[in-house]
Amino acid sequence: MVRDYDISNNERQFVLQALEQNVRLDGRKLLEMRDVDIFVSPDEYGYVEISLGKTKVACRVTAEIAKPYEDRPFDGIFQISTEISPICSPFFESGLTSGGKQSNDEVLISRLIEKAVRRSGALDLESLCIIAGSKCWSIRADLHFLNYDGNFIDISSIAVMVALLHFRKPDMEIDGNNVILFDQDQRNPVPLSILHIPLCFTFQFYNPNDDEENIKGNLNNELILLDASLIEERLSLGSMTLTINKNKELCQLVKSGGLNIDASLIMNCCQHASNLVDDLTKKINSVLKHDAHLRENPLEKELQVVNQRDT
Amino acid sequence: MSRLELYSPEGLRVDGRRWNELRRFECRTNTHPHAADGSAYVQQGNSKILCLVKGPMEHGANLAAGTKLDANGPVLSITINYPPFAANDRKKRQKNDRRLQEISIILKRCFMKTIVLKNYSRTVIDISLTVLAMDGGLLACFCNAITLALIDAGISLYDYVSAISIGLFDQTPLLDMNTLEESDLSFVTIGVVGDSDKLNLMLCEDKIPLDKLERLISLGIEGCHRVKQLMDHQMRVAGQELQERQ
Amino acid sequence: MSFALPGDQIQLQSATNVVVGPHVRLDGTSVTAATAGFLVNTQSQGSAVCYIEADSKRYVPSSQDFVVGTVVGSFGESYRVSLSNFSTPAVLGFYAFPNASKKNRPRLKTGDLVYARIASTDPDLDVELECFDATTGKEGGFGLLEGGFVFDVRLAYARHLLRHQDAPVLTKLMKKYQFELAIGANGRIWIKSDTLQNTIECMKAIQNGQNEKQT
Repeated sequence: MVRDYDISNNERQFVLQALEQNVRLDGRKLLEMRDVDIFVSPDEYGYVEISLGKTKVACRVTAEIAKPYEDRPFDGIFQISTEISPICSPFFESGLTSGGKQSNDEVLISRLIEKAVRRSGALDLESLCIIAGSKCWSIRADLHFLNYDGNFIDISSIAVMVALLHFRKPDMEIDGNNVILFDQDQRNPVPLSILHIPLCFTFQFYNPNDDEENIKGNLNNELILLDASLIEERLSLGSMTLTINKNKELCQLVKSGGLNIDASLIMNCCQHASNLVDDLTKKINSVLKHDAHLRENPLEKELQVVNQRDT
Repeated sequence: MSRLELYSPEGLRVDGRRWNELRRFECRTNTHPHAADGSAYVQQGNSKILCLVKGPMEHGANLAAGTKLDANGPVLSITINYPPFAANDRKKRQKNDRRLQEISIILKRCFMKTIVLKNYSRTVIDISLTVLAMDGGLLACFCNAITLALIDAGISLYDYVSAISIGLFDQTPLLDMNTLEESDLSFVTIGVVGDSDKLNLMLCEDKIPLDKLERLISLGIEGCHRVKQLMDHQMRVAGQELQERQ
Repeated sequence: MSFALPGDQIQLQSATNVVVGPHVRLDGTSVTAATAGFLVNTQSQGSAVCYIEADSKRYVPSSQDFVVGTVVGSFGESYRVSLSNFSTPAVLGFYAFPNASKKNRPRLKTGDLVYARIASTDPDLDVELECFDATTGKEGGFGLLEGGFVFDVRLAYARHLLRHQDAPVLTKLMKKYQFELAIGANGRIWIKSDTLQNTIECMKAIQNGQNEKQT
């Protein structure tokens, strides 16, 4: 049986009242995101940890050589595994205790990540082909959800994209039907070909009026907020996730029922997300650039460690 | 492979429609009066959907064991039956197909806001959808069929939910896509409540430039209103017939 | 105050009357620590008291604790009250209120907050709560908590605040703000101030207090 958080009426009322006054418990404005903290592994390629407030996920990207799918001989394989274990919160049950059936939230999260990153063609699958029909790279991104404080979707999309950008696959050469892989010491590993960086933004909707007003009325004063924390997410009456990249392309949008929202408000959300995506992309790029810089200048890295100890 | 002309320079689509034309929309209710409490059949072009509603009742047959009944409203259970013969490619779907699972969750959340919840506390409403033939607009057809079947079952709704898919061909939005168009173009599905401009559900799975979105939505809302009128008309005809029979 | 780890032998100062508190095991004549934490040796009413102040993650109900709980439903003649998320709820009888009778008893709704005292914790039965003072039978500050907000803190911190009502964070807040406060040993604190903004500020102050060193 899926248990939920026991949220009291007092908390419900308080959070809603606060939202009506444009105040959130952590001091943010309604459409403000929490600070994204990106950690990329300095020792290995393709391991990142992202925190968004207390929400935390890790993502590891690995590559191996596999046989391509028969119906797609010219494409590589890309898989994203998003199993949410009870590690992050007892709210999510492991596959064993829930009889192998995933909860609604879990299905939605994994489908959304799949659509946002895989279907939108962020990773160029054709570049993963080695020998058509017989060998290709199989890239796998494993998401590990470490702590839950709302908004798994947005953070997962950031984690997968940063991990893909950070990952380097071994360089190789084709000799007839043989593939020669080169060790990291022999040749520098090569990055994946990433076509664009889609990032998810999840908006939550709240209704200061009653249901009737929401459906029939035209006040359109539903409260909309971005990047909900745990309690806000549990109290939300509807959510919408959209995925967008720097080129102002909408890669995916899903508003799964919930509160009815006027089309103009939805357009505002999209516009707001398109403003945010630039900053976030810049931040991701600067973190990666810094990491690449440290790798090229190993001396500086060592010095930096000493400096950190001093302080 | 010859490339199909999805939208000719003269403004005609593969099936001869203009950009803002719906396919033939036909619907019937009470198609299975003995098998279910409410039933509806919806046909949009060559997409044919059957929807059966059982409930409100105290116990659902398809409910997972241990599901708690809710004191504040009904538990909706939506099962989707998509047999291999329904689509062009004869493909057997797994029982836990992710896409269908996702669609059923979306529909569930959509109708939880449309049904007058307080009338149905601690009950189960069992909705089963069967795809007889699919030619595009899966989610939209589902949504329309459920609305009609719920009305037929006498379950109180705040208003109709009508849905339609809209695609984008270059600069032109195209209303009510069929399979051929869906496979090549990006499209969004939107669901609108009654005659308002409020979106209840919205699903977009492909890339669309942000500046085109507004036009798609506005065409979609128009389309939804038209579908709503067609459904409303059919329901009124059915009601009239019932009245005359008495 | 010294630090103790499980299995550590505890030396008792006086061999006369010793009250052994939580997380301390009595093994024949020797006393050993059962949990990692700070060893506290104090005097109370003529006898030595010895217990370990440990911070655990999940609240384990113990008798006479004051708790803040959420009503999650009613069952038979009692309410079910959740003391912490994802735990078995405790039971609060319909008549476990001061002067409650069949005709006149508080009617709580699902989702209401109550401040209660744990009456019994029989391992074979559900944990039972009561909403009146054990000695006087009067209200004693227990009962329904209206409005305000509830938040979670570390268990040890909640216990510390309960025992030290003069804790600096509280005394300083009292000078600046007006508020009502209910501290639950289950790590939940309910607070209600005159305005929403003040409530949030007080909440932040108390929450941040748990990161400071406790003396």
